[in-house]
Amino acid sequence: MKRWIPIAVIVLAAAAVPLLLNPTGYWIRVFTFTLLFAAMAQAWNLIGGLANQLSLGHAAFFGIGAYTSTILLLKFGISPWLGMFAGGALGGVAALIIAIPTMRLQGHYFALATLAFGEVARVIANVWTSLTGGPVGLSVPFVPPGFAAYSFKQLLPHAYIALIALIIVTAIFEVIRRGAMGYRLRAIRENAAAAEVIGIDTTKVKLQTAVISGVLIAMLGTLYAQVAVFFDPDTVFNAMSISIRVALIAIIGGVGTAIGPILGALFIVPVEELMNDLFSAGAAGLSQLIFGVILIVVILWRPRGLVTVIEALRTWLRGKGAQS
Amino acid sequence: MSKTSSTRGGINRRTALAGTASLIAAPWISSTARAQAKPVNIGVIMPLSGANAQFGINSRNGIELVADEINAAGGIRSLGGAKINLIVADSTSTPTTAGTVAQRMISQNEVTAILGAFASSLTIAISEVTERRDIPLLTMSFADQITGRGYKNIFQVVAKASALGKAQLDYTVAIAQAAGTKIDKIAIMYEDTAYGTAQAEGLRAAAKAANIQLVMDDAYPLGITDTTPLINKLRASGAQAVFPVSYLNDSLLLIRTMRQQRITIPAIGGAAGYVIPDFEKGLGEFAEGVLSIAPANYDLDTSLTDRFRKRFGYFMVHEALEHAVALDVLVQAIEKAKSAKAEDVTLALRGAKFTGGWTNAMTGGAVQFDNTGLNVASIPVMVQWRKKELVTVWPKDVAKGAAEWKF
Amino acid sequence: MSFIQAILDGLLIGGVYAVISIGLTLAYGVMGIVNFAQAEFLMIGMFVSWFAWAYLGLDPVLAAPLSFAVAFALGWLVQGHLISHVLKAPSVAQIFLTVGLLIVLENGALLAFGSQFRSVTTSYQTMSLSLGSLFVSVPYLIAFAMSLACGLALWWFMRTSWFGRAMRATAQNPMAAQLMGIDTALMYKMAFALGVGLTAFGGAVILPYVTVFPGVGGQFVVLMFTVVVLGGLGSVAGAVVGGLAVGVIQALSALFFPIQLQNLILFLVFILVLAVRPQGLVGASR
Repeated sequence: MKRWIPIAVIVLAAAAVPLLLNPTGYWIRVFTFTLLFAAMAQAWNLIGGLANQLSLGHAAFFGIGAYTSTILLLKFGISPWLGMFAGGALGGVAALIIAIPTMRLQGHYFALATLAFGEVARVIANVWTSLTGGPVGLSVPFVPPGFAAYSFKQLLPHAYIALIALIIVTAIFEVIRRGAMGYRLRAIRENAAAAEVIGIDTTKVKLQTAVISGVLIAMLGTLYAQVAVFFDPDTVFNAMSISIRVALIAIIGGVGTAIGPILGALFIVPVEELMNDLFSAGAAGLSQLIFGVILIVVILWRPRGLVTVIEALRTWLRGKGAQS
Repeated sequence: MSKTSSTRGGINRRTALAGTASLIAAPWISSTARAQAKPVNIGVIMPLSGANAQFGINSRNGIELVADEINAAGGIRSLGGAKINLIVADSTSTPTTAGTVAQRMISQNEVTAILGAFASSLTIAISEVTERRDIPLLTMSFADQITGRGYKNIFQVVAKASALGKAQLDYTVAIAQAAGTKIDKIAIMYEDTAYGTAQAEGLRAAAKAANIQLVMDDAYPLGITDTTPLINKLRASGAQAVFPVSYLNDSLLLIRTMRQQRITIPAIGGAAGYVIPDFEKGLGEFAEGVLSIAPANYDLDTSLTDRFRKRFGYFMVHEALEHAVALDVLVQAIEKAKSAKAEDVTLALRGAKFTGGWTNAMTGGAVQFDNTGLNVASIPVMVQWRKKELVTVWPKDVAKGAAEWKF
Repeated sequence: MSFIQAILDGLLIGGVYAVISIGLTLAYGVMGIVNFAQAEFLMIGMFVSWFAWAYLGLDPVLAAPLSFAVAFALGWLVQGHLISHVLKAPSVAQIFLTVGLLIVLENGALLAFGSQFRSVTTSYQTMSLSLGSLFVSVPYLIAFAMSLACGLALWWFMRTSWFGRAMRATAQNPMAAQLMGIDTALMYKMAFALGVGLTAFGGAVILPYVTVFPGVGGQFVVLMFTVVVLGGLGSVAGAVVGGLAVGVIQALSALFFPIQLQNLILFLVFILVLAVRPQGLVGASR
């Protein structure tokens, strides 16, 4: 019971933040994107952290989610709430299609094959103009505001939707991690051959994880589309700004832990924003350069993620408590 | 750390003077007078890093030139000499970031208007923010849907991509005809970006209207490093002229590969990579005589554009020129509105005709926005490389030299 | 005829792909590191060569050894001061360290050299040889010849020199190599520096037909990965096979499909090959 208290405090604090921010302003937008990227990294964490498969192609599912709900809204007037589930379903199918030829691949081969898959998805979105509108991109039309239509004048509801999404994805992550599936995934990670021997269908478990991860990030693609309002294939199918960034957030925070992606997003998104605010008016490239240096320093300092700082802090506090 | 183009001391002194003057003259307007002398914040969002960095930096140079000139000449007169304070930020190449930057400028810097952001996708992302916050956005991005969505706060100072593509074809046909050549077979090749596809669409429609056969119509991926397959296909196509729409690297590659394969048909570029100094630097003598469409060209009023050349050391490329015009027009609107409030400025921009100043360097010598926000006075021009310079050669009424058509 | 032309163009282009990718596979073979910043060294090589051309009047291709030397020195420092710290860290930390390096190098170049697109002009840039109705692009031919020479030099170095043999020993078994008195840290530096040097060399030889700007690496990064994975990660011979294969696949796909789909076809072939041979074309199964 006791360990629920800090979680409840964190959730309540996070829920209070948007109320303190200007509802049409800048910080609430940054906060919303931080939560969204945390949720995306958490979805990635299922396959990247639990199954230990470094996917660098998650932009494929993410983009499918963003495009599906937006196309359904544009062509048929279907609410993005429903479109989100359609996108999730398609994202899951895509994840399955990608997983079948790549599941056998080891380590870096898997990473680079998924990277190529992400690029395939981007090219398709770019070329299939009749469906996606091609390289000119899509604007989410502004429909009369209302919850059912997933249309709001302010960013405040978007911030809460992103927060709820993050909580749900994190809960799914924890349930899987603690459950039978998490146990099997750990067994495969430690020793795949031994796992087979004790009767774990390794392929099936990995496929399940990949599909759940793909469904979740595709659904988050809808949320992203609704906040960003405009996107093109290069935005949502981007290897660098989606696939690699999502993995980076989970890894900077602490891969395989529930808190890792949240820490990572709380670090990466605002820092990048701050660098842009402070330095991008000066010499071109400076803000990005400083961001890169910060990344390198953090990785050298905490190769296992920022989560180790919290662990160290906790041990230190406990030590102090024992002394007094 | 926003970039301030004026000296802070000057603003303070001016503010103080204005305040004192109004106190003496009429105490009841003192508060507004004090507010007016405040510098006017104008947002500048450009891709300052990534693949489009150079175009973003060129654009920023053009804007800074005009801002500095206006400030040096006493600022905005109808606001008691208020200075222009440019707030510059990098949009990166991600539209979502561009939108976030716009949101930041509106909320934190209380900008009167925003200029940006060269690439159409970035501009559209910004417009989604400015439209919801009722902030005017002035742009030289030329995608059709920028002013095609019925938005009230967007102003496009150049002709649209489809018009550009149409002019690219129509002008060429006219130039060839004047030289006694009839064109009936052409090839189109374009990068598969928003810019490339939109302009190709215009080319295609114009070719159909002019009864010209498209013997080749190929999109190719952005960042292509080997154009041999395209040129192999071009050689076999029997086209009399080729219309490539691309950024710099592809443009150099295409022209060089054509030379390698001894293809001598004329190439008529689609702006972007064909109208920057690096094109001539890269191709040397092979640049001579190459034609390109352009939304504007610096030789239409060199008394203005030479100031850019003097300060930055290269000719005033079209994106710099058009952004300079955009800022000039914006300041004219602020003067007219006698207010730095976004909604007053939007009102002053919409439907109005602006002349004088930098608009002299535009075709039509004016900027006039229609109800969608499109500058209807602007028509594209055909330019031709002559001794490291771009000469406007068509339409005849604005041309600075005769078009050469001998290939 | 167009078929033969495509194969010819593909092989010439592919030879260069091979050389720029060998470095990636070398660092992986010796240390097990996948370097996402590898293509940034291509950019550095191109810039060095461009400056040598612009200020020393050197032909960009002849400046290739200079590009190699600069990148080699830089690689030595990067390995010694950055990568060596994460050799024992989880492989994800290694990968993302190089992603950080990518961002730093690209934007450092933007700060140092500006955003202009820089291109060289050489006499042979617009020349080609005619073989019947076939065209052989001279800049492609020169780049291919230089790549071939560079590849042979590497092969000779790895076979005959003590360094080469020690490096191969380190790749096979670092523990045993260390016991044999080989300084593995030195070998790591050597492998990484040599690898990025080769990539920079490749950057110089393509300068006659590719424009350099700070973001140019982005045009090659996925391609380089495709080459090494297709051939088999860690295998130098694999990178050569992979490079030629990628060049030919690209050229042939442009013959039968819209060129817009060039990379789509390439990646689909790539994934298909991996599905059948998870260790790549040449790689031994681990």
